[in-house]
Amino acid sequence: MLNWFKRRGNDKASYDTNEEWIKALKSPVDEQAVDLLRKQLIRGLKPALHKYVDRELDQFVEDVAQDALLKILDNIDSFRGESKLITWAMKIAVREGLTELRRKRYDDRSMEEFKRPSEEGRNEFTSITFSSDLPNPNDATHEQLVLQKVLDIINNELTDKQKKAIKALMIEGLSVTVVADQMNTNRNALYKLVHDARLKIKEKLEISGINPEEIFNNQ
Amino acid sequence: MKITQDFIKKIVGMAAQSRQDEIGCDDCFDQLHEFAEIELEGKSAAEAMPLVKDHLKRCGDCREEYEALLEALKTVS
Repeated sequence: MLNWFKRRGNDKASYDTNEEWIKALKSPVDEQAVDLLRKQLIRGLKPALHKYVDRELDQFVEDVAQDALLKILDNIDSFRGESKLITWAMKIAVREGLTELRRKRYDDRSMEEFKRPSEEGRNEFTSITFSSDLPNPNDATHEQLVLQKVLDIINNELTDKQKKAIKALMIEGLSVTVVADQMNTNRNALYKLVHDARLKIKEKLEISGINPEEIFNNQ
Repeated sequence: MKITQDFIKKIVGMAAQSRQDEIGCDDCFDQLHEFAEIELEGKSAAEAMPLVKDHLKRCGDCREEYEALLEALKTVS
């Protein structure tokens, strides 16, 4: 009842509890609450994103807050109150902002690489420094033989998709967001793909009797 | 393509530390607000939610979002 009067008065509404927020953000939406939330998101996003944005930070965070608000309103029913509403809402806004920045950073980088096209990368892994490339295989150290075996596991046991993902994430150093876009998948599925690859390598190492510690101790 | 021995060692290290029960980015995101709040209250989020902590160690994008979230919440809390 008190809230009803507050909203009717339209000047002193308070949103101290999650219940008040949820009620205000559900249809019919309380515009005053949306405006307050937008301001809070902007206030939080500025210090969180400033190091990633070199110009027009204010405009950028306002756009991000606006896009995030739409997602927050669409998903308000999924908020179960495990934290303050602002914490949950800010999480959505931060992901929105960083996802946008990662895509932009990659677009800029792609333009640079377009100007200097690199060798078309295959998904096969090879290395000139390994035992098979030595003039005399007997010259190979034990460590090189073990590493060659690992390389064989990667090449023979992983799928092309797994190799492509590992190459993009670990060699090219691209973000999960960007690689997921490139592979027409999503972050979660990409993580699972690489997780399965890691488990496969681990299993095959165990079957081959290779102790990972051995590789690191020989450095 | 050509890769270095160090890279192979990195893959082996990551494979060796892999766990069957790892959670993915979606599960991590679903719990991240709760995790952040526990941390901001000065309690051990890692102890309360070890699988989220584990995912944050492994996934650069999720870790970056978590750190930015903490930064944002310090301003509005």
